[in-house]
This record gives sequence, C-alpha cells and structure tokens, in this order.
Amino acid sequence: MTAPLAGRTAVVTGAGQGVGEGIAAALATRGANVVVAARRAETGEPAAAAIRDRGGEACCLVTDVTRGGDVQRCVTETVARYGALEIMVHNAFHGGRPHRLEDVDDALWATNSRTAVWGSYYCARFAAPHLRAAGTRGRLLLVTSPAGVEGSVNLPIYSPVKAAQRALAKSLAREWGRHGVTVNCVAPVAETPALTTAFAANPVLRERLEARTALGRVGDAERDIGAVAAFLAGDDGGYITGQTVVCDGGSFMGL
Amino acid sequence: MPALAGRVAVVTGADQPLGRGLALALGTAGAAVGLVGAARALAAVTAELDARGARATAVDTALSDAAGVTTAFATVADELGAPVCVVVHTAMEPAAFDPMPFEEVDDDRFDAIWEGTMHAALAVLQASFAQMRGRGGQILLVTPTVGMSGVPGLAPYAAALEGQRLLAKSAARQWGPDGIRVNCLAPAPEQVPIGVRSVDVSLAPAALGGPGDAEHDLGPVAVFLAGDDAHFVTGATIGVDGGVWMAP
Repeated sequence: MTAPLAGRTAVVTGAGQGVGEGIAAALATRGANVVVAARRAETGEPAAAAIRDRGGEACCLVTDVTRGGDVQRCVTETVARYGALEIMVHNAFHGGRPHRLEDVDDALWATNSRTAVWGSYYCARFAAPHLRAAGTRGRLLLVTSPAGVEGSVNLPIYSPVKAAQRALAKSLAREWGRHGVTVNCVAPVAETPALTTAFAANPVLRERLEARTALGRVGDAERDIGAVAAFLAGDDGGYITGQTVVCDGGSFMGL
Repeated sequence: MPALAGRVAVVTGADQPLGRGLALALGTAGAAVGLVGAARALAAVTAELDARGARATAVDTALSDAAGVTTAFATVADELGAPVCVVVHTAMEPAAFDPMPFEEVDDDRFDAIWEGTMHAALAVLQASFAQMRGRGGQILLVTPTVGMSGVPGLAPYAAALEGQRLLAKSAARQWGPDGIRVNCLAPAPEQVPIGVRSVDVSLAPAALGGPGDAEHDLGPVAVFLAGDDAHFVTGATIGVDGGVWMAP
C-alpha cells in the first residue's frame, strides 16, 4: 500500500515541540517530506532528526512566523529542496500568562496577534502560489483552539486571535476552492509543553479538563491530533473545506 | 416608561447607516446617546436624535487612540449626566469593506483592517469597563454574519469580525461577575457596504425577507439586549438577518 502522502511536501510551523511536532511526525509517517519550521534550531533540529530516525524525510528551517521575510524564505527553500509545497500547516503560537482584559496592553496583544494571525496571513500569502499549483492536493491547515470558539475566561486575548484564524480559513476556503485547494482548522487539546505549564500553574486544571472530556483524557499530539491533520492533508479529506475539526476528546460540542 | 429611560448609551460608527439606525433606536427607547467618532460626520444624527426628543451629544475621537476613547466616554458621561451603561460598537475600518483577492493583500492593508479593527474594539471595551466597573452595563458588538459564513475577497474583514465576536465572548466570561453583559448582534451582509448579498452566502433566501432596516428591524433587538429583560443573556450572538445564516 502506498503511503497516503507519499511524494507530497509539507511545512509545519512550530514543529519543534507540542502539537506541531506531533503533526509533523504524523505527516512524515504517512510519507510526506516535512519541513520542521521552528523559531529555534534547538527544538527544530531534534524534531527533524527524530522523524529521520524513524525512516521519514524531514529537515529543519529556522523560521520566525512573525516575520514575513522568514516565512517567505522558508517557503522558497522548501520548494528549492523538494520541488513543490502541497501542505502548509501553521501551528506556531506564543501567547502569554493569564490576564485581565481591562489590563491588556499593546505588547500582550502583539504577542498573541503576531504569531496566530500574522503568522496565518504570512503562511497563507507565501504558500498561496504553490498551493494553487498543487491544485486538488493543495492544503492550508491552521491550528486554532476550542477557546477560539467558546471564549476564554483566563486568556481573553487568546480567543479572538484563534477565532480570526477560523475566519481566515472559511473565507480563504471560499476564495481558493476553485483551484481545488482546501483550507481548514483543527482545534486540539493535547499534551504539550504549554499545557504542562498550565497544569503546573493550576493543580486542579487537569482534573477539571479530564472530567469534562467525554473520552476522559488529554490527547496525544501525534496519534490523536496529527492523525486528524494528516487526514485533512490527504486525498480522503479533500471534500472538507472551511471547517474547524475540534480534536479535544469530546469536551466542546458546539454544533 | 421607555425601556432605556435614564440610561446613557454610547454608539460608535453612527456616521454609517447601521450605526445611525441603532443610535436612533436607542434614543427612541429613552436612552441619552453619545455618538463617538468623527464629530463632523455625526452632527446630522445628533440633530435627528434631538428632533425626536432624545438627548444626544457627539464627541470627536479617533478610535485608534485608546486613551482618547476612554476620555471620550467620560466626556459623554459628563455631558449626559450619568455613567455610560450601554455601548453599541459598530465602527469598522473603511478599508475592510473593499473586496480584494487575498494574494493582493499587503502588510499595510492587513494591518489597517485586522489591527485597526481589533485595537478599536479593545479600546471600546476597555473604555466601557472603566465606565461600568462596579455599576454593571451592557456592551453590544455588531458583527455581520459574513464573519461566520466566510466570504471570498474579504478574508481580513471576516477575521476582524470573528476576532471581535470572540473578544465579546471572553469579555462576557471575565466581566460577568461585574454585572457587565457583552453580546453580539449579527446583521445581514447588506447592512455593510461590502457588495455581498445574503443569497451569496446561503442557498436559501432570507426566511423573513431581507435584509431589514437598521432602525426598525435591528434596533428593537439592540434595545432588548441593552435592556433589563436580557439580564441573563451574555456571550451570545443574535443573528438578525431575517433568517439566512442559521447557526449553530
């Protein structure tokens, strides 16, 4: 059986750790050439090496998604190395500590907005010609959050930037559908360094999260989230566009 | 007694038909109305409110100036004699309304639409909180349904709409204990100058006909959300588009 993503090339931002690393590994396992786009080589290089150790094809390109020039260079180098770019996954995010909305200042806003929204904009813009060239194999996948649907009491700025990604996905799905390109979001809850930090700061959080999750556990970045991303990235997910797939074990059930 | 008698409201974007209609509805329902924005463009609406016996004032402010917005709300409270307890935010960066293929959107344009809209919304929310803290109040963000439906050529506008809608949900969750309710009103796309019709985003026509009149069709819903009968409604998005976009 041919691997479902064999011969396709993916860029995954924020792939040095957490959900991004899981998605990168899942895509590589299914045959894709994967560019681990990480802000820091210290995380990106080991993530790429781990994929190669498992027999996959991967390389790390140091990329700060808040810089358009970085994203443009990452896309250019990806195409130079692998010949095409079919799958663009924007996962990188840097937010901040819990905050009060009345205290939000420009710096906190910018931290959230630059990685989530500007990162999406740059990834979409610079990948666009290559996705269009890929036609029905072209995929843009944005990693959002259930908080971008239901709001957040502790991270009020996190919700709007994650919602904006969902809105970009819907509008771009309508705009690029004529080329066969799909644009979707996944909204995961998974074991990540960020969640570990949140659990450490709030000892009852894990218990609360698991109690309100139908499947009773926090997801695994590669097996639970990466697999869904890979499905959307492949031919089997080709008729799904403009959607947000919530992969949270059955916590938020919005529709 | 009118539903909003004795209340002081702020409306942004009243220089546009949507904001104007909602301002007239609030004034007719008894509110004293402060119009915040470019005062010269607001004089006609102030005069209309005066003609209906509603107290009104216009305060000249750029919504891009957060400190200025807080000051403008305080000025409205001073001029109209009580703290602002109702805020209806309809203003939108004009560039957001012009369709353009996404590949042609550059950094300056994306910045104007996304950052401009979100900074204005954040400034309006923070200025509202300064007025409502310890007293309670009602905030209404107007977010046309195209943010939820998606629309080709207007991705940055849609992102800014959904950003505002989720900002409202977060504010609702965080400020509920302060007695502050935050909701969204979602009108038909025809209510904003983007050249999109309801039939462009849905196979079905508007169940009630459309797209409705800002003052007489949307206004009563805004008055309801701003009034006491909606005291248990927060974080909600109420679609008021005549029955096109029905979600969830």
